[in-house]
Amino acid sequence: MTRGTLRRAIRLLDIDPRRLALALLLGTLALGCGVALAAVSAWLIARASQMPPVLQLSVATVAVRAFGIGRGVLRYLERLVSHDVALRGMTELRTTLYQRLAVARPDTLLRLRRGDLLARVGADVDTVGDVVVRGLLPAGVATLLGAGTVLAMCAFWPPAGLALAGCLLLAGVAAPLIAARAARTTEALALQSRADMTATALGLLDDTGPLRVAGRAADELAALREADRRLATATDAGAGAAAVAAGLGQLAIGIAVLVALVTGVPAVGAGLLSPVELAVIVLTPLAAFEATSLLPAAAIQVQRSRAAAARILALLDAPTDPDPTDRGTAGPPLVAAGVAAGWPGAPTVLEGLDLDLRAGRSVAVVGPSGTGKTTTLLTLAGLLPRRGGSLALGGHDVDHLARETVVGAVVVGTEDAHVFGTTVLENLRVARGDVTEAEAEAVLVRVGLGDWLAGLPDGLDTLLGPDARTVSGGERRRLLVARALLSPAELLLVDEPAEHLDPDRADALVTDLLGDPRGVVVVTHRLTPLGAADEVLWLDGGRIRARGTHEQLAASAPGYRELLDRERADDETEAERAR
Amino acid sequence: MRPLDPRLLRHARAARGYVALTAALGVFTAALVVAQALLLAHTLGNAVTDGATLAVLGPTIAWLAAVVVVRALVTALQERFAHRAATRTVGELREQVVAHAVALGPRWLATGEGPSVVTLATRGLDALEPYFVRYLPQLVLAATVTPGVLLVVLGLDWISAAILVVVLPLVPLFMVLVGRLTQGRSEQGLASMQRLGAQVLDLLAGLPTLRAHGREHGPGARVRSLGDAHRQATMGTLRIAFLSGMVLELLTTLSVALVAVGIGLRLVEGDLDLVTGIAVLVLAPEVFLPLRQVGIQFHAAADGVAAAGRAFEVLETPVPPAGTRTAPDLRTATLRLDGVGVAGTPVDLDLVLRPGTVVALTGPSGVGKTTALEVALGLLRPDTGRASIDGIDLEDVDPASLWAQVTWLPQRPVLEPGTIAQLVGGDEASRATAAGLTGLDAVLVDLPLGWETPLGRGGEGLSLGQRQRVALTRTLLSPTPLVVLDEPTAHLDAAGEQVVLDTVRTLRDAGRTVLLVAHRHSLVAAADDVVRVRSAAEVLA
Repeated sequence: MTRGTLRRAIRLLDIDPRRLALALLLGTLALGCGVALAAVSAWLIARASQMPPVLQLSVATVAVRAFGIGRGVLRYLERLVSHDVALRGMTELRTTLYQRLAVARPDTLLRLRRGDLLARVGADVDTVGDVVVRGLLPAGVATLLGAGTVLAMCAFWPPAGLALAGCLLLAGVAAPLIAARAARTTEALALQSRADMTATALGLLDDTGPLRVAGRAADELAALREADRRLATATDAGAGAAAVAAGLGQLAIGIAVLVALVTGVPAVGAGLLSPVELAVIVLTPLAAFEATSLLPAAAIQVQRSRAAAARILALLDAPTDPDPTDRGTAGPPLVAAGVAAGWPGAPTVLEGLDLDLRAGRSVAVVGPSGTGKTTTLLTLAGLLPRRGGSLALGGHDVDHLARETVVGAVVVGTEDAHVFGTTVLENLRVARGDVTEAEAEAVLVRVGLGDWLAGLPDGLDTLLGPDARTVSGGERRRLLVARALLSPAELLLVDEPAEHLDPDRADALVTDLLGDPRGVVVVTHRLTPLGAADEVLWLDGGRIRARGTHEQLAASAPGYRELLDRERADDETEAERAR
Repeated sequence: MRPLDPRLLRHARAARGYVALTAALGVFTAALVVAQALLLAHTLGNAVTDGATLAVLGPTIAWLAAVVVVRALVTALQERFAHRAATRTVGELREQVVAHAVALGPRWLATGEGPSVVTLATRGLDALEPYFVRYLPQLVLAATVTPGVLLVVLGLDWISAAILVVVLPLVPLFMVLVGRLTQGRSEQGLASMQRLGAQVLDLLAGLPTLRAHGREHGPGARVRSLGDAHRQATMGTLRIAFLSGMVLELLTTLSVALVAVGIGLRLVEGDLDLVTGIAVLVLAPEVFLPLRQVGIQFHAAADGVAAAGRAFEVLETPVPPAGTRTAPDLRTATLRLDGVGVAGTPVDLDLVLRPGTVVALTGPSGVGKTTALEVALGLLRPDTGRASIDGIDLEDVDPASLWAQVTWLPQRPVLEPGTIAQLVGGDEASRATAAGLTGLDAVLVDLPLGWETPLGRGGEGLSLGQRQRVALTRTLLSPTPLVVLDEPTAHLDAAGEQVVLDTVRTLRDAGRTVLLVAHRHSLVAAADDVVRVRSAAEVLA
């Protein structure tokens, strides 16, 4: 994490300086009202004790009431303006992040979808935005107000003003630094025990049954207790410094008051200060520390925001696709020669893939799970960088073509594609913006979701997704196939369309896809329906173990026949049991 | 929200001491606040009216300095123990919640409130930290400093005390009033905020898909417009939410201002002396300070209280009492399920597990095969039907005495950290034989440390298939009469399937009873008895 991290992230918030200045002004005036209230009250009381004509006090009495009202109103306005600034900044950052990720390499995106990383991105944007309201603004207000108060105090009695300046620095700079340091120490020390605690708790809750039966639940609970104990020790290590910071804040007020008293009383005796002024310089410091009391929390916020900013900037700096050098148009065929595929940063999963895909041709890819079939499809669609070999669309190297050109010809529907939290129809329109309701219904019937559609409360307008109707694994998979089928591209790459389906329906769907008039590659674990494919690629151990028509493989490829027989036997057993 | 839930004190030992300490420090702080104000008023008043010199005021100033130092120490002490109490309490509650959830069993964890326990235990309870560190001390001060200072003001100047007493109840009253008026608005606003936030994340999550379809550029504008809508919705909520803050500030500052003006006017009349006037002026804001802090910390604390409330709900969910009878010896006893049903999956399941036999459960996924295993293991009580061993209801059996006779290999093997040799157990010779059978020997050849290879939590360092072989080897070497295998071939290739077949045969040859969930034809064929599990939907069809 470099020092410029937060500054760069704040620049990305694109904050309107006028709005920020307004928030700063309102905030300073609001807390300034509090300080002024204390100062004028002190003056009022001290002067009143000298029993002047009441009229001499009228300005002060009005001012005291005005400051009393002004504080609340100004503070309300300041909070509105500052939150507006922060929210605008978050929108800006979120938009920039989206646009940047839209052109990032797909592996950045796909990595993001694992675990709760995505939720963290959302939270990180908010945390960076929070730095305005909870970090920068309080610091700015404290600085302005502190300077103003010190100057005013100096006008009355410079020693008291200087003492106040020193105490404000103690409470507003030293204490926050110590607090932030304490928070950092705790976080660093607690990192490992927090990870252990989370892992142990998750393990216990995920594998409750097996752990209890194996008699290990008590041990794991003891491990959880131990991790929490270490977490407590780490917190203790930072708590001392946090305590010092809190105590310093309180001590600073007292010192400012005491110095004003000790230096002011002799000054009154020497005639350098009037008694009324003495009351003002002694009592004003009591109200002058409200702004600095927020700063320890602000310092911790800045630190948190900086960590969040570093994670966001890492995403923004993720590698992007190189600019296209070939602006030409291109269409099928898609020709792969000796292509090697692998996830960036992971071992190569497949080598030596040759393929010629054109309209009307269907290819089935089979092989045990974990052999990189999805990675291969993404590579063929130009979404993952190749490990080797060449890939050309209509004779143009795919790497040099514009992304729009490639996606206009080749579309991949992966098994982990996203179902958006919107209607069924809008989910299908991801493939093509102008899909009509009739087209949508037809394609859903085609993939065997006709009954499902009929059972939906609002038909095609039914909301899907996390906070609405959820779809089962099988329904989801077929919805994704339907979406891929609606794509205008001439070549379709489809990943495991038939998973979670019973054998008969799975085979019917695979057969239908392989018969599509476009060029189709279908990854499937079912061998029985592959008679419909023009060619079958059998992957195993990172290579193409055999290729040819289904009949050729069944006749001559060692092992293929056995797999097919085993699949049939399993189907029959299942069918028998069902009866 | 209940400011201090008595259940917190009941369930968390660390919280008890802390609340006692905070209360004691709160009373002490009240005394210090009053002492500081009186000393300050005395010094300043005499200096202003009589022109007292430092020599005269020296002792009072020294006392004032002492009070200042002690107040700083008390503040530090409070902060020091607040963090400790927060972490300890969170730890205690976490441990109890997890232990209780484990006792409630896997089915409870998978349904209804269960899944949220994971978030609650790992992150949710952390929200108690601001409650302990920021909110609770201020709450205590509101109960000590506010009334204490008010009493002192009353003793000094009853008119000022009257102003404060009139305003004081208005603070909570107006807060509640504004809260009531704005509740509907802000709940609506909150819901729309959350929806808009989720929509942006949804678009981010779907970016790979949008890219695959070449549609990634359009939604950029949508992210911006969603953000703008989010901002407007939020600001609408905040305009109202901040009102309560404004009312609070207005009431408190204005009443302090009124007190000041009142004192000033009475000083002019000579009805009051300056020392009293200064003391009241310094004390007046202290009456409201804790209340204002409570208001400021309220929202952060509310999350913590809500998390604690959920934890108490979990802890108060009754655990069915465990049986006490020792389980019969499974080498000779027969385990039976008769007409067992659990929430529609499975229904009406009959199963007889005689000693030394291999019984396979089959059926499509989602039909309740694993649930059936959980019933047979006494982890779950069936809604209908009966599970028994030699006529004794499983409910009456002490689960520990049953589980001591069982080795269970779940779909995803659960391995504790340790070396492979430690995990597998047995002596060197038996380990080698078993590894040869399960194919673990081939895995070990690739590991430089062989048997001494350390594995992390959950078998980290090995692939799922390799872990499955470790677990199978462990199962072979375990001495228990009953072995339960849940889809043992799920993560294995064709060669792995043969390994499982050999393992099952070896187990049977050793006279052990095997209950397995099977998909593969070959495995089903190896069983003595096959039981098809059915769901409610199938039975109706």
